[in-house]
Amino acid sequence: MINLLVLPLLIPLVTAALLIFLPKSIRVQRAVSVVSAIGTLAASIVLLLTVKDNGIQTVNVGSWDAPFGITLVSDTLSALLVTTSSLITLSVILYSFRSIGEARERFYYYPIVQFLLVGVNGAFTTGDIFNLFVFFEVMLMASYVLIVIGGTKIQLRESIKYILVNVISSALFVIAVAMLYSVVGSLNMADISQRIAQIGSLPILTVIAVLFLIVFGLKGAIFPLYFWLPGSYYAPPVPVLALFGSLLTKVGVYSILRSYSLFFYHDQAFTHELLGILAIITIIVGCIGAIAYWDVKKIIIYNIIIAVGVLTFGISVATEESYMGTVFYTIHDMIVKAALFLLIGVMIKITGTNDLRKMGGLMKKYPLLGWTFLVAAFALAGIPPLSGFVGKLLIVRGGLAEGAYVGSLIVLLSSLVVLYSVIKIFMNGFWKAPKDYPGEENQPVLSLWAPGALLVLASILYGVGAEVMYPIISQATDALVHPAIYIDAVLKE
Amino acid sequence: MSLLHLAIFSPFLMAIFVPFLYKGLKSIHTGWFVLALPILLFTYFIGFLPITRNNGTVEKSFDWIPSLGIHFTAYVDGLGLLFALLITGIGALVVLYSIFYLSKEKESLHNFYVYLLLFMGAMLGVVLSDNLITLYMFWELTSISSFLLIAYWYDRERSRYGALKSMLLTVFGGLSMLGGILLLSIMGDTFSIRELISQAGELNQHPLFLFALILILLGAFTKSAQFPFYIWLPDAMEAPTPVSAYLHSATMVKAGIYLVARLSPIFAFSSYWFWIVGAIGIFTMFWGSFNAVKQTDLKGILAFSTVSQLGLIMSLLGVGAAALHFDTLNDNIYIAAVIAAVFHLINHATFKGSLFMVVGIVDHETGTRDIRKLGGLLSFMPVTFTIAVIGAFSMAGLPPFNGFLSKEMFFTGMIQLVNLDLFNLETWGMLFPILAWIGSIFTFIYSMMFVFKTFSGKYQPEKLDKKPHEAPVGMLISPIILAFLVVLFGLFPNLLSYSLIQPAAAAIVPSLVGPGELLDVHISHWHGFNPELWMTIGVIAVGTLMYLTLSKWIKLYALFPGKVTLNALYDTSLYAAERGSYTLTKAYMNGFIRTYLVYIFAFFIGILGFTMWTRQALTIDTSNLAPIGVYEIVLVVIITAGIFTILFAKSRLTSIIALGAVGYTVSLFFVIFRAPDLALTQLVIETVSVALFLLCFYHLPKLNRHEERMGFKLGNLIISLGVGAVISLMAISAHSNKMFESIASFYVENTYKEAAGKNMVNVILVDFRGFDTLFEISVLAIAGLGIFGLIKLRLAKKGEEADEN
Repeated sequence: MINLLVLPLLIPLVTAALLIFLPKSIRVQRAVSVVSAIGTLAASIVLLLTVKDNGIQTVNVGSWDAPFGITLVSDTLSALLVTTSSLITLSVILYSFRSIGEARERFYYYPIVQFLLVGVNGAFTTGDIFNLFVFFEVMLMASYVLIVIGGTKIQLRESIKYILVNVISSALFVIAVAMLYSVVGSLNMADISQRIAQIGSLPILTVIAVLFLIVFGLKGAIFPLYFWLPGSYYAPPVPVLALFGSLLTKVGVYSILRSYSLFFYHDQAFTHELLGILAIITIIVGCIGAIAYWDVKKIIIYNIIIAVGVLTFGISVATEESYMGTVFYTIHDMIVKAALFLLIGVMIKITGTNDLRKMGGLMKKYPLLGWTFLVAAFALAGIPPLSGFVGKLLIVRGGLAEGAYVGSLIVLLSSLVVLYSVIKIFMNGFWKAPKDYPGEENQPVLSLWAPGALLVLASILYGVGAEVMYPIISQATDALVHPAIYIDAVLKE
Repeated sequence: MSLLHLAIFSPFLMAIFVPFLYKGLKSIHTGWFVLALPILLFTYFIGFLPITRNNGTVEKSFDWIPSLGIHFTAYVDGLGLLFALLITGIGALVVLYSIFYLSKEKESLHNFYVYLLLFMGAMLGVVLSDNLITLYMFWELTSISSFLLIAYWYDRERSRYGALKSMLLTVFGGLSMLGGILLLSIMGDTFSIRELISQAGELNQHPLFLFALILILLGAFTKSAQFPFYIWLPDAMEAPTPVSAYLHSATMVKAGIYLVARLSPIFAFSSYWFWIVGAIGIFTMFWGSFNAVKQTDLKGILAFSTVSQLGLIMSLLGVGAAALHFDTLNDNIYIAAVIAAVFHLINHATFKGSLFMVVGIVDHETGTRDIRKLGGLLSFMPVTFTIAVIGAFSMAGLPPFNGFLSKEMFFTGMIQLVNLDLFNLETWGMLFPILAWIGSIFTFIYSMMFVFKTFSGKYQPEKLDKKPHEAPVGMLISPIILAFLVVLFGLFPNLLSYSLIQPAAAAIVPSLVGPGELLDVHISHWHGFNPELWMTIGVIAVGTLMYLTLSKWIKLYALFPGKVTLNALYDTSLYAAERGSYTLTKAYMNGFIRTYLVYIFAFFIGILGFTMWTRQALTIDTSNLAPIGVYEIVLVVIITAGIFTILFAKSRLTSIIALGAVGYTVSLFFVIFRAPDLALTQLVIETVSVALFLLCFYHLPKLNRHEERMGFKLGNLIISLGVGAVISLMAISAHSNKMFESIASFYVENTYKEAAGKNMVNVILVDFRGFDTLFEISVLAIAGLGIFGLIKLRLAKKGEEADEN
């Protein structure tokens, strides 16, 4: 099936359109959402396997040949990310049933989530730089709505900041695309790569590369462009936060990875060095934030920033090993971040507070939740054999092999801070003497726990089964290291 | 997957069943089921003795992530087997002991045994892995299980504190070690320890060698509680006593020793290794014993004693590194240090294990471990007393116990060092035997304190919670077995010589042992009146004197300022890190979007400006520009005037009208550039947005600008000028660098021919790039839904908290 790679976009798009017409029947909405999410996940898995066996899949939309029309390109990296995003969206939808509340459900929560998935999957799949911008817009518009829907005071306050920053970054995105188009005269990403390779290093391209870094860095939340994130992500309810934390920043990171490996690899001494420095500072400020707070949401939110730093460090090293680590780590981080957000969501539901100092003793009544959280915490910190380990190992080894000693050691030691920050949640939330919380009996703890547990299970399998993943990840890395693979698949039919 | 792998994994498998056994068979203490496993494993590992006896090895490999060179290669040699026997042997005794120590009614036994089994499996994995990554994995798992065990009584503040401290320090070490491992793998292109050993010569010359060495040693020193990282061990004593006996004295803390021993063949030739391992070890030995004397908690004494003894073994391994500088086996006295290290490792496990169990008994039967409350227990607990005497005297290095033998060998090693003309030892070398001797005196003192403060002296029933009596038989079996071993190894040390010690020592210095050769290990009690014996006599004489006058000089400890200890450093730095981070984060994350935009735009201007400057990207090429006409100039003037009007407008109405003017003028540009459809679109958008603004504006408060200060305005001005300048310069340069024919000509040629449309813009929108348009329409739909929800849905304040998550 040649149009297979459209399905992970099409299914949620059609579902979203359908759901708009069913705002009152919540049960139907839920059922359709889940079925569609499972469908999207299944389609993406089939896509991933197809790409693995048959190589990069492309579709020229409207049959206009590349580079003139819009081309969708599914290489292993993009299929992997699409699969992971679909899995996470499924879990979040399941979690939302018992937590998001009927009011939000009636006001188009489910269709907007589907739209968000359209945007995210589209951004991962497109092979056209302007189309990437369009999918960014879909994703961002959906996220604006998700952040504001409900209309509580904090949501209104923070969404203004979020929208403002992102509107600015969108404007910069268009400017960057225009400038790139002016120089290379094409929008097809493979074609751009090919054309840039013909002229090699050109000063204005380096400047444009930095502009793209700013654009994507604003979404991906690297230093010093992340300031909007902690406040804005704090505002929406936990399932939305889980979607944002695991998907949105990763789209930014993916875009940096794609553009810096496909287009802007000709002046690495400047661009990648800059990226490396920013990455390390990102890790440090993330660490500082992560240990500063006693608010469970804040702690995990700052962990997002640390992870972005680690990933961009991997990109900046730009060797096969570090790219492989980055890919390994991206998938891991998406899964485990979503899991952690969902799990702290359960904690907040039970205790009715975000403040760790007011929590405690959950282990007695909710041991299953406690252990799941602990495993997720260790996975996040990269304790072997859980999922964070292999990625971090490869990133650090790649960095050391390239002589980036300081950066590599900072990445390593950031694990300690990460561990400390999440263990702090564990020790203060689950340990200590048990307490009674008003209203805890009414919480459907088990059904709230299950989606998070599903993701933790996925993370364990991903870590222990690294060998199974290896050929896939290795294939994904190949296309990053050798742009020719990507170019050939798109332009030479 | 072999039987050997299965043996290593069996504790994990067992751990899965423990909760079910606990829930299902409440009447039987879960420990009884668990006990079977270490016994079985111990007998299984005994079976390897004949192989390792002749320095043979067993290797079974199991692929885990072969693509990355990560295998689970289980490798049994003398060193690994010695540890495996310790882990399973002491493990069995500890489990047996715990059955009587932990009540099945009150305690969460399933948790306890799951953690204990996790630890056992992890520790077996550490000592039987040839692959450094697998080793690292198990290493971290021991830290984690230790963390869980220390906080077994997790509602206690001190338990959690101790657990966190041990975890932070050991995981810090673990991560450093991982860094070292990765460096080694970069140098030698393998994770296999044996393959790395075979390249030891080249590795020594590598520029990264020292870096790797330090990182690896950080891992070993934190785990084995060496100075200055030992501070976690005393706090780890919050764990139940069987755990302290097992993890925090007999096995886990020796993982660092194991690592040093295991990697000696790679690193030991380096003088850095010799100095760092030797000096840190001997200082830790002194410092631990010195601090043990001031403890009042029996477990505290044992904790510092463990620190000290680990330092002793560590220093022996450091000194033993000198062995590698001499080629022949004959008269290589430094091998003796390695042998002493191995021997003392065994001895320490036996006597310290029994002493911890004694403390557990005392605590269990009297309700306290404070030596100020204890005393005169001899008449109540004669058996426990006997065990305590045997263990403590061995620890003090008194004959005829095993501690005496290894202590003598330790002195030998330290004295020999002075004669070594290597690494400038003639100057600083004297410190080794001196510190060893002083440390031994303190060891003697705290050993005596341990016995006599507890069992002799005045019985103080009023200070005890319970009436003391002898422990139940079940609780005595394990310490009796250990005490028996202390005596046995003391009287017949050569039982161990070639069965355990020689194979282990040979694995530490493999380059000195040819194929078919064995190291010469002969341990004897009497060497004549040599310096070592005089040192021991001195220790006993000075030690007894000092013990008797203890009350006179114990106050000296109070002279040490309480605030400059390493513990205080740990506490304050953790506190300061949290406070500092909070203050710092609060300071720059002030919640104002304007501030964030200032950061972002300042970075934007700075970094893009810098890039353009250093890369000399500014190019201006006017060759293919059209001439500028009168209309354009007029429009530019209008736009500029409009913008300035907005900037200085006093009312909103004026601003909006000016903004509209700017928009309309831009659409006139489209008209001039002959793009009528764009112009139309732009006009519609401008009209709608101005109309909307005017509608909304009715509800907005009055425009208020008087509070803005000059500096504020100036900042805004600089930033906006900067952004404008950077964007303009970039745009000009991008325009001047048109390197390729653009794809636009394709559309010109094919709009009619292929797409059958007459309006190129329309065809691009709906056909060539119709996909974009589809999703732009979606964006509008989403926005519509969002605005609808925003207007209609206002979750009440009351529901806010509940619906937040």
